[in-house]
Amino acid sequence: MFLAIKEMKHSKTRFGMIGAIIMLIAWLVFILSGLGNGLSSLAAATMKNMDGDLFIYEEGSEGTMMKTKVSGAIADDIEGKYGVKEAAKFGQSTIIVQNETEAAANAKEKDDVAFIGVEPGKFIEPTVVKGQQLNSDEPLGVLIDESLQEKGYDIGDTIVVKSSNLKLKILGLTEGETFNHLPTVFVNIDTWQSYAFSAPGSDNGLESPVTMIALQGNSIEGNKIEKNYDSIETFTKSEAVMGMPGYKEESATIYMMLAFLFVISAVIIAVFFYVFILQKTQQFGVMKAIGASNRFIKNSIISQVFVLSLGSIIAGIALTYLTALAFPEGMPFNLDFKMVLLYGIILLIVSVLGSVISARQVTKIDPLTAIGRVE
Amino acid sequence: MTGLVLKNVTKSFKEGESTVDALKNVSLSVEPGEFIAIIGPSGSGKSTLLSIAGALLQPSKGEVLVNGTDIGKMKEKDLSSFRLTDIGFILQTSNLIPYLNVLDQLLLVCKMKGKVTSKEIDLAKMLLNDLGLGDKLKKFPNELSGGERQRVAIARAFVNNSNIILADEPTASLDSNRAFEVVKQIRQAVKNRNKAAIMVTHDERMLEFCDKVYRMEDGVLTQED
Repeated sequence: MFLAIKEMKHSKTRFGMIGAIIMLIAWLVFILSGLGNGLSSLAAATMKNMDGDLFIYEEGSEGTMMKTKVSGAIADDIEGKYGVKEAAKFGQSTIIVQNETEAAANAKEKDDVAFIGVEPGKFIEPTVVKGQQLNSDEPLGVLIDESLQEKGYDIGDTIVVKSSNLKLKILGLTEGETFNHLPTVFVNIDTWQSYAFSAPGSDNGLESPVTMIALQGNSIEGNKIEKNYDSIETFTKSEAVMGMPGYKEESATIYMMLAFLFVISAVIIAVFFYVFILQKTQQFGVMKAIGASNRFIKNSIISQVFVLSLGSIIAGIALTYLTALAFPEGMPFNLDFKMVLLYGIILLIVSVLGSVISARQVTKIDPLTAIGRVE
Repeated sequence: MTGLVLKNVTKSFKEGESTVDALKNVSLSVEPGEFIAIIGPSGSGKSTLLSIAGALLQPSKGEVLVNGTDIGKMKEKDLSSFRLTDIGFILQTSNLIPYLNVLDQLLLVCKMKGKVTSKEIDLAKMLLNDLGLGDKLKKFPNELSGGERQRVAIARAFVNNSNIILADEPTASLDSNRAFEVVKQIRQAVKNRNKAAIMVTHDERMLEFCDKVYRMEDGVLTQED
């Protein structure tokens, strides 16, 4: 540590430049992680927010929302069996909406939203941040995501659903509810059913069809459920989230980029310090001649990388939060401090590992280089 | 037994197919308080001798006793800590660490052993004072003259309080006045602190300061009169 700090103080430019590179890599890592986080919540926030333990989908649906339809009767029947405490029906479709005042004015602006049917009072209904929850007395009442406020929707407004004569009344606002990259509108499941299956035969002959059923309970026996009901399959929450359209692909892309960045930063550190050690062969030779052990020199190199990376990563975190301030409002960017911390630590470990590889070079330096060099 | 004793030391190097004897049956003994010089042309084996006496190399044959310990029987791993505690090297001018100030050059040696004690700091300051560097403790090597740098190297060799001092061409790259000054100072420090010291040099003008002079030629060491 003694040598490490003294040297960095002495060669500020050299270490400043390496520090800047590590900082920029850290910055890129954090921005990417924020972007990945933002995109994944855009894709699946409503799914992730659901406090369900197991989900019933149609058999062969592979956990994908687009391919499933199950009988809502199962939900009523299953409660209290196989470890299920509560079962909640869930219906989803995508609709195009317009504010009533805009519709009257024949405005061109329309908005795509995710139309989600839930049973009022069940665990999958989100808590409003403003206004009232859903209730059975108002079948046309809906909860909308806050982000729709910017587009001119507010509590008390009436929304017109395009290509249907459905008119909905906004009862409350929810926070952070997006589904399939769209803001979510929650409605009573009965209303959703009559909208979604208005065409004859679209219900596949199922009794009270819904998209899927979310189950809550301790140690639910999924196998028994699959045996006892026809043409269904159960999925865990993470499987269901993975099944969200685009979710897997988006997160795979982001994670791949992050993984590359970690490898790149390790290589950069390793190469930089490899060159440094080559440059300082003579110096390390002298130190060895006057009695420095390999361990002493290696420790000094590794602690130098540790201090340098730590400082640079902290600077990178600061830079990330500063940049986040400058991002436009609608950008799917969502920094999770826990994740920033985790990636920061990974980056630190990876850099130190990179330097450990280079530091092995020190063992090969012969202290004899210090003797008899004057001709 | 203190001091440095070499008994019938031979060092051979492999050079391709053949082996070359850099040192041939060399015997040498240096008592505490004695300052000896080894002269000889390049390639005569002086550096090899110094490296063997300083535990940087191990002899092929013979015994090297430093304070009674046979270096030849030590494991390679233990040699560095042996050098740290028992040998003081005075190396060439360029061999200070560029980013450490004068005082830290000395404290680095103490750091290698572990924590620096205030006693060690006092010793370091005293050594530098004795060598006339008392007002330059915070200077970096590039801010010092060649002679001053060499005096820092002398102080560094004494700071671990070892019994053996080995000087490798300490006057190289110094002009005559400074060279005299430096060798006188080595001599003074050796006498004051009762160390056994060997200096390898090209410079025959420096021999008047030494108690004994040996000449090295083709690996054979002979005492001069």
